[in-house]
Amino acid sequence: MLQIECPWCGGRDQEEFQYGGEAHIVRPDNPESLTDTQWADYLFNRANVKGVHAEQWCHAAGCRRWFNVLRDTVSYKILAVYRPGEQPPGGEE
Amino acid sequence: MSAKQSPLIEIETPVLRPGSDGQALFWMQEYAFCVHLNLRGDSSSSAFSEAVNAFSGIALPEHPNTCVSSEHCRVAWLGPDEWLLIGADEEFGVATLEDRLAPLHHALTDLSGGQTILRVGGENWRDVLASACPLDLHPRVFGEGACAQTMIAHTNALLIPLRDPNRDEAVDIVVRRSFADHLARWLMDAAAESGFEFLAPVGSP
Repeated sequence: MLQIECPWCGGRDQEEFQYGGEAHIVRPDNPESLTDTQWADYLFNRANVKGVHAEQWCHAAGCRRWFNVLRDTVSYKILAVYRPGEQPPGGEE
Repeated sequence: MSAKQSPLIEIETPVLRPGSDGQALFWMQEYAFCVHLNLRGDSSSSAFSEAVNAFSGIALPEHPNTCVSSEHCRVAWLGPDEWLLIGADEEFGVATLEDRLAPLHHALTDLSGGQTILRVGGENWRDVLASACPLDLHPRVFGEGACAQTMIAHTNALLIPLRDPNRDEAVDIVVRRSFADHLARWLMDAAAESGFEFLAPVGSP
């Protein structure tokens, strides 16, 4: 079980949170001008990194706000937590 | 015909069931039919804060997980732009606040019919709740003036610790009406060992 630091509520049990997949995926400005491959890439293809992963979490049973987490997918260690719209600390992608 | 009914109507109260050592170290009492208003808006706008203040007499708590009380009203922080106003009497009405907020950007929802309050206390309340609640309930971090949304026995709940005027330290569990019966029965089971007393609901017609 993870202990996740909500940017508003502080440290809470993982049971209160919901996982929201990879963070920082930007919707293309002109979807109609994309090829099927490019659109599928935006829609379905994810980095699936082994190591530091930027992901979205929602404090579903608490303040119900979304935020971003940098988590090591090997050790499960949470390296940083930051609010939506902010860039990951250390300039990592 | 449409008399209000407590969601705990199926549970007979008052009931006293002493635990293994003959004592009842946990009690519960429902505060039915309070006025619950969910308010969303931008507290950095002074017009918004003043309108709420004029209505409730309380400045909106801006610090996460805090709750401010006055004699007839409580305001709990639910999110950076979201609060729950709890009032005891019917005159604490949604229409009055809606009038004040009308020209401002806001969302006000009357949840009175959908939520209820279970007040629990007694020597063992922290142990009873901790058996199915992931929140740190230690008095050092969770005492009067705090509030927290969390899960108890798979049920979403808002906890507001307080000092009950008659029965000392207690916590109000604000829970969806449809989950209240489940939660009350779960509390009965969890408190069976320490013994419990369920009092008749307050605010019941």
